Amino acid sequence: MKGKLDPSVRQALVEEGKNLKEGLIALEEDLVQLTDKLQLEAQSIPNTTHPDVPVGGEESSVLRKEVGSQRSFNFAIKDHLQLGKELDLFDFDAAAEVSGSKFYYLKNEAVLLEMALVNWAISEVSKKGFTPLITPEIVRSSVVEKCGFQPRAKNTQVYSIEDSDQCLIGTAEIPVGGIHMDSILAESALPLKYVAYSHCFRTEAGAAGAATRGLYRVHQFSKVEMFIFCRPEESGKWHEELITIEEDLYASLGLHFKTLDMATGDLGAPAYRKFDIEAWMPGLERYGEISSASNCTDYQSRRLGIRYRPSPSEPPSTSTKKGKGAASGPTQFVHTLNATAVAVPRLIVCILENFQQGDGSIVVPEPLRPYMGGLELLSPKFK
Amino acid sequence: MLTCGRFISSSAATSTASFFPFRTLTRSLVRRPAPHLLSSASAAAATAVELDTNGDGSAGGGAGVVRPQWKAAIDFKWIRDNRDAVADNIRTRNSTANLDLVFELYDQYLTLQKEVERLRAERNAVANKMKGKLDPSVRQALVEEGKNLKEGLIALEEDLVQLTDKLQLEAQSIPNTTHPDVPVGGEESSVLRKEVGSQRSFNFAIKDHLQLGKELDLFDFDAAAEVSGSKFYYLKNEAVLLEMALVNWAISEVSKKGFTPLITPEIVRSSVVEKCGFQPRAKNTQVYSIEDSDQCLIGTAEIPVGGIHMDSILAESALPLKYVAYSHCFRTEAGAAGAATRGLYRVHQFSKVEMFIFCRPEESGKWHEELITIEEDLYASLGLHFKTLDMATGDLGAPAYRKFDIEAWMPGLERYGEISSASNCTDYQSRRLGIRYRPSPSEPPSTSTKKGKGAASGPTQFVHTLNATAVAVPRLIVCILENFQQGDGSIVVPEPLRPYMGGLELLSPKFK
Repeated sequence: MKGKLDPSVRQALVEEGKNLKEGLIALEEDLVQLTDKLQLEAQSIPNTTHPDVPVGGEESSVLRKEVGSQRSFNFAIKDHLQLGKELDLFDFDAAAEVSGSKFYYLKNEAVLLEMALVNWAISEVSKKGFTPLITPEIVRSSVVEKCGFQPRAKNTQVYSIEDSDQCLIGTAEIPVGGIHMDSILAESALPLKYVAYSHCFRTEAGAAGAATRGLYRVHQFSKVEMFIFCRPEESGKWHEELITIEEDLYASLGLHFKTLDMATGDLGAPAYRKFDIEAWMPGLERYGEISSASNCTDYQSRRLGIRYRPSPSEPPSTSTKKGKGAASGPTQFVHTLNATAVAVPRLIVCILENFQQGDGSIVVPEPLRPYMGGLELLSPKFK
Repeated sequence: MLTCGRFISSSAATSTASFFPFRTLTRSLVRRPAPHLLSSASAAAATAVELDTNGDGSAGGGAGVVRPQWKAAIDFKWIRDNRDAVADNIRTRNSTANLDLVFELYDQYLTLQKEVERLRAERNAVANKMKGKLDPSVRQALVEEGKNLKEGLIALEEDLVQLTDKLQLEAQSIPNTTHPDVPVGGEESSVLRKEVGSQRSFNFAIKDHLQLGKELDLFDFDAAAEVSGSKFYYLKNEAVLLEMALVNWAISEVSKKGFTPLITPEIVRSSVVEKCGFQPRAKNTQVYSIEDSDQCLIGTAEIPVGGIHMDSILAESALPLKYVAYSHCFRTEAGAAGAATRGLYRVHQFSKVEMFIFCRPEESGKWHEELITIEEDLYASLGLHFKTLDMATGDLGAPAYRKFDIEAWMPGLERYGEISSASNCTDYQSRRLGIRYRPSPSEPPSTSTKKGKGAASGPTQFVHTLNATAVAVPRLIVCILENFQQGDGSIVVPEPLRPYMGGLELLSPKFK
């Protein structure tokens, strides 16, 4: 319509333009709706799977490593609940009144045991180059979703805060993953390794009937978590490193455990590969999961928006423009990994049940003694 | 507990409501009023009638009235006998409790109760008359009369329940009594009890904790604002060690003094929060609530520790019960806009080690002094400069009979900031939490001691409760960073904390 036109020609064009514009608006709305729906559906596609991961349900998980063996006792053993009662270590009954079932108070030496496990884990893991962190335990629900959890699902594990878009974290993985949300990291900064201490809150909805005895399944617990942001080529190596750190920690405590390569049916959407450690709990007569190490490759980083800029192979030009990166190449998504260093309640179960003695006392694992003022024994006679 | 006192009169019903129209309750919900509610404390040994102990809010009552989930054991007779003192106390504390309404309702209660009893007596009389042989027409008349009396009685009994609930709610908002030595007035009337140390003079330009934290890579507020919102933070590197050291050290020092260590739930039922004297449902409440649940996040371990002996009768020989409890604390800080909010000074989540004592009434004053002394020793050993204040009536908060606050010097923020609070709540919380003790008998017990009778040991009494902050981590981090900074930007670690930090003596920029 530029330039001189006959008024009637112009008018016809104006009409045509108007029709096209209305049609366009309608179609653009449809496009937005469609994009949203496409995005939502596509986001629920789980991560790809490492070729070595066994296919199948829980029973198909493969044993990677076994450390120690089931201790044989020459006296009648007790489970952690009974030991805790006799040593005045927990109170589940008062907590049921004050808070509800699956809550508990820790008392006396159990407090020292929790603090020792946390302090020891932070100390050991930071020696390996992990940066210590203490994280928020209330986060925006969008961050929870970006990490691959579902706060709004029926039977969700996630507690929500009333009148708010905030939730309680079920693991420090969430606030740690979020710490670099919507960022472009320099390649030289990678890998970023964090060891994070937080309380964790889980509804355990849908766990009715599952093992719930005592400290085995609770709504609130302390956990020290390892988290790595790295270059894609390195995530396999860091996964091996993380599981080795875990195995060393539990072996040094004297626990008997199995490391499993979890089967496809048990991975959870974000994990490319997942190793779980199950430790022997003689009082509960079972192996129970005490930790999990996942390589999430770029599943979380694509949602959290975490990229890195690969370093240029040639010296940069004198006029490096921010964002252009002609010499350094386009940004890539980092890979993220997370692994439990200590999840306190189940380790307390393991320590009490495995190291109990005939007289009802508990031998404190050596690595924890310096963190408990040198205490070597939890003993009934001191109550 | 750190101050978060707001006085808001509790009730869902308006003050102009009249109660007689509420007649929709079915008979099954009618309960006899518990006489003990109106008698003196010593007779409150009888088991309290509790409505809805599982706290689900109970059955639909009359239009819009919220049934209380629990009842404090209020000593109405004492209030009546000390009306002027109670009114005076409400005034000096700036409480919005409505004492006139309480008395009005109490009088209505007494009148209605008499009426109910009169009707009951009449109904019994009619029932008695119907025994034995009667003329059919006489019997019929009696049956009619009995029926009318019964209906009238049901209606009045419903009204009585409603009235009792409202009376209870209004009375529960009456604040605790006040220690005679407490200064009267607002914040500025608080009296200095003790001062330790003095403001350090620096020969270099000092920085506040935010700048020091940035240079030493100790916190991240920006990332936390994205992930969680404002007033959240990550602690990093040595700040993590500092927090752990403060907590470990406090638990260790305080347990040496005979306090039992505890780690507590941080999610509790809202009724327990209320029984401790907080108000989860008030506008601008400090309390976070969990969606689709009657649960809340704790703002202080005082709540789960107070709750640990809820609805119990303790042996006198067990007292005092002394606990040192570690928990995270969550506070909305709603209504704190404009108040000091810089950096770690006011945050939504923090770690705290709290001391809590259950004791005999005669001893609470002594334990209050003991608790404040423990606090003063802790902070003096860290090398802090601080003032201990006897808080004035306007600043007490409903549960406290007397409250000592400690304010430490924060040179970077150029102010004294509250780092701890020690309250003697006497029987305010125990009357709500239902915590009593059985005094030991003066003579040897009879051979057939019956549980619950206690003839030789006397009726049960309410315990007194006290709470006091051992360490509230973020503000202590502010104090440590700002007071112990050096010209080169490093921070000297207070001596008592060094063993808990692997011997670390200095937080130093050159190691980053």
